[in-house]
Amino acid sequence: MLVMWAAFDWTNFGQQTINGLTIGALIALIALGYTMVYGIVELINFAHGDLFMLGCFLALSLVSVFGLNEAGVLATMPWWRILGPVLLCFLVIPLFCAGLNLAVDRVVYKPLRNAPKLAPLVSAIGVSFIFMNIGLFWGGAQDVNFPDLVAAAWPEKSADGERIQTGIVRNLLADSDTGLRFTVKDAMVIGVTVPLMLALSLFVSFTKTGKAMRATAQNPVAAQLMGINVDWVIGVTFLIGGAMAGFGSVMYALTLNTVGYQMGFQNGLYAFTAAVLGGIGNIYGAVLGGIVIGLVRSLGSEYVGETWTSALVFAVLIVILVFRPSGLLGSRTPEKV
Amino acid sequence: MAQPKYPNWPMAFLIAFAVFPLVPALDEWFFTFTNRSLVQQVPGMFIFGILTLALNAAVGYVGILHLGIAAFFGIGAYITGILTVPAYPFEIGFWCALIVATLGTAAFGGVIGIPTLRLRGDYLALVTLGFAEVVKFSIQNLDAITGGPRGMNPIPPPEIIGLPEPLFVDSIGFYFLTLAFLVAAYLLLARIERSRLGRAWVAIREDELAASCMGLNVGRLKLAAFVFAAGLAGAAGCLYATSIGSTADPNAYGFNKSVLVLCCLILGGLGSRNGALFGVFCLYGFDQILSPIIDVGFNNKFLPTVITPWLARHDC
Amino acid sequence: MPIRILPTIAILTILTAFFAVPEPPSTADADIITIVSSLPRTGSAKGQTDTIVEGIQLALFQADIDPSLPGTQVRVGEKVYTIRYDDLDDATAAAGAWTAEQEISNAQRAVHDPNVMAYIGTYNSGAAAVSMAILNRAKILMVSPANTSPGLTKPNTGARDEPKRYRPTGEINYVRVVATDDLQGPAGAEWARDMGARKVYILDDNDVYGKGVADLFEVHARKIGLHVLGRESIDPKAQEFGALMTKIRQQGAELIYFGGTTQSKAGQLAKDMVKAGLTDCKMMGPDGTYEQAMIASAGADTLENRFYATFCGLTPEELAKTPRGRDFVQDYRKQYGREPQEAYTLYGYECARVVLEAIRIAGVKDRVAIRDAGRSLKNFQGVTGIWSFDANGDTTLKDLSGVVVRGGKFVFSKTLTVSEN
Repeated sequence: MLVMWAAFDWTNFGQQTINGLTIGALIALIALGYTMVYGIVELINFAHGDLFMLGCFLALSLVSVFGLNEAGVLATMPWWRILGPVLLCFLVIPLFCAGLNLAVDRVVYKPLRNAPKLAPLVSAIGVSFIFMNIGLFWGGAQDVNFPDLVAAAWPEKSADGERIQTGIVRNLLADSDTGLRFTVKDAMVIGVTVPLMLALSLFVSFTKTGKAMRATAQNPVAAQLMGINVDWVIGVTFLIGGAMAGFGSVMYALTLNTVGYQMGFQNGLYAFTAAVLGGIGNIYGAVLGGIVIGLVRSLGSEYVGETWTSALVFAVLIVILVFRPSGLLGSRTPEKV
Repeated sequence: MAQPKYPNWPMAFLIAFAVFPLVPALDEWFFTFTNRSLVQQVPGMFIFGILTLALNAAVGYVGILHLGIAAFFGIGAYITGILTVPAYPFEIGFWCALIVATLGTAAFGGVIGIPTLRLRGDYLALVTLGFAEVVKFSIQNLDAITGGPRGMNPIPPPEIIGLPEPLFVDSIGFYFLTLAFLVAAYLLLARIERSRLGRAWVAIREDELAASCMGLNVGRLKLAAFVFAAGLAGAAGCLYATSIGSTADPNAYGFNKSVLVLCCLILGGLGSRNGALFGVFCLYGFDQILSPIIDVGFNNKFLPTVITPWLARHDC
Repeated sequence: MPIRILPTIAILTILTAFFAVPEPPSTADADIITIVSSLPRTGSAKGQTDTIVEGIQLALFQADIDPSLPGTQVRVGEKVYTIRYDDLDDATAAAGAWTAEQEISNAQRAVHDPNVMAYIGTYNSGAAAVSMAILNRAKILMVSPANTSPGLTKPNTGARDEPKRYRPTGEINYVRVVATDDLQGPAGAEWARDMGARKVYILDDNDVYGKGVADLFEVHARKIGLHVLGRESIDPKAQEFGALMTKIRQQGAELIYFGGTTQSKAGQLAKDMVKAGLTDCKMMGPDGTYEQAMIASAGADTLENRFYATFCGLTPEELAKTPRGRDFVQDYRKQYGREPQEAYTLYGYECARVVLEAIRIAGVKDRVAIRDAGRSLKNFQGVTGIWSFDANGDTTLKDLSGVVVRGGKFVFSKTLTVSEN
């Protein structure tokens, strides 16, 4: 036992944990939108992942407008010329996704508000297919490279600290003797997700709109009787959920650097899984679920095998739900009579 | 039962589909326009119809949101593959494989259903989806058993004693075989709908709490519906694998197929047999049969005869 | 209810009119010979298959057949036949790559149409594995421009019952104009050794082609003394491989071999390799990664001097240095106004020439005669040299090239050989 303990490679474990946290945080950003919409209207918004995908395509187009997508341009560009377009992305894309999400709600889901539950679900699947085809039309069938702006702005220095290595992102732990890699990208993803989650949670807990949202989630009819404009609350929810997907798109494009029309499906599926795993409707739960999935993926790849990671994520999900039927942080609501 | 006043649509459809292949001229006429044979294309639709009826038992009657029906379809296809291809020593032929595939898939349904059916609506939906993904990846990765990405072939065509084998290779026999299975599944569901079991299922769908107050064992009844759906989907999978002579590859049994089945069902109307089949007729028919024909028609007929001359006239 | 009949009839009438009005050119069926090709025409292989189809069409043009018309009259033997070419797609937009269902449907369609005499395809070896048996039963000549998985034709190279399972009639109907991976895999391993790599990690995409070539690479790598650190399959639908690359980095790999294609995430693997800190590690792929789409998906900076690919045949630039190759490149430029961009253009052209030659030798519209003529083609004057089909249906040509990414595109690096076998 002691030998096993000593032989255990803590560097591997630590590195895979960092990888898992980063991927988990990205999934969590998308899951936040899922969970908020579900909490209010009890709709599994299958189009959410594809909304995220369209956000990524817009980010790519925006970056191309500034000429950052041409080969060899980034190597000589000073960091401040990269920062501008990136900040613009962080402004424009959440707005775009929020607006699109709201539009979809008003056009597609609102007329079905009182229909049987499966009707909006199937409409969501339909919207998902439409978005996917827009993505196909927009970006073509191939995966497209998103320029590695983070690495260009914060490049790795070589061992003597003089020469910079283009195309490789800076490792913040390079000077420590842990042997770990915690890059600027990892820091950025976690640095965006955690504040967003906290802000969202404070918003829901303390603002008037947030309280109205919680009231609507509990009982829309009663909320309406109390003078809450339920339609407006639902609209705000879709706006916030869309904005979260928008932040997710920018972060995803900046860290993983690939944009393709099929990316919405897989990421949406993981995000949906994360939301349910954490207890659907619960903001902290969505983030926790995302991180669990990220860790299962990275540690599964290290200790079980890359080819089984996807199966492992869903197997873990089934096992957790068998023992905690309302997700990790979900509360068991008694059945209404 | 009172005679319906309007024409009996399901019967009219059935007669149309049954008579159509008996008149070879019709299919040949169709072929000259579209380069496609309906006798070859339509059995796929029949099999899809059986799959949709299977899902109808779980989603339509009991109200279990089931997002993983394609996994059971795939399990049925792969059981058939293992039992019939020459690479394995079994080679038990179509009929035995059909029985084993049905029962084996139902058993899988039981294994996943027993621990998870107590979950609430959307949590259960995700479990069925997750199970389907696990099945897909397992088929893909268990290379030694399932052939992994290359699937298993050749799966032999069914034999009926007394009938010549070419009848089934030529696919007109297969057309009627799948049609017969579809009708059988339809009648079986009609029978169940009117039975004690079917009425109990609908009661659970309408109000689970009230149903359990009336003394129904909700857990067992839900499990029965889930297992029944799995078994029928397995039978459809067996037919599918036989129809294409191969288990295809694991990706043929992914989430997209589950969603397409669900869409057919919801388009046609949950809980209605005729609706389910009409949904298949519209969606599957459009997606798999009509839209390729329109493509061919557009590229081969419309484009050269209308568009190209028009463009030429306008110097484009 | 009865009222609904009217719109139904109206729609049906319109649809019928749509197909019925523009009459197809009336020729008796007995005089039509159809050549079909089945390639992934949507998805990211489209760049490659576009040029393959252009190669096929170039060969048809040179035989005075206009593939854009519904049919061209050509004298074959003693009769005049109308030759048609039909470009089928075995991929779906939803999948972004070939699907077994679509390939099976294409094969069945070819079988059912009595005019189809030859089937050019497939692009992916996995697709061939599902359609070969169907076409074999129908005795249709099948010529592949790009399948390199050896098990499709050669005994004792793949699964136990390969290639027997693809030949239910026992006759050979499948031939291919490219050399197989049992050269490409080992040649890649020797190239890796020559580059100085000692520790290699082998990945594959869990598909017939990728797994096959990675297996062959692995066997030969062990034989010539490379240290194989590990072997894994990836899920080509996964979005990132950071964890996998971290694991590989900790084992100190000097070269990663990926048996797979651009469509199965070769680009993302290369990107994640660099991201995980494997900056001095090289990556090598088989011919499925040798296309411009690979550079577009991974980014030129990522691949610069880091990504190597092997493939059977010559690059367009090398080809232009041989006399017949120069003719081909010139003809191509005259027809399409640009250089052939991708390596398989040539093989599409060769496939179509093989088919036309088989039809000419057979001299009749008969599937068996054309099949037999095609598979026993000897001393064929190909673009890259004179070659024949051997007893398995493989070409006797064995050119192999290695390319590397420099300056944002693939450039020829060296001619590869397998010394020890």
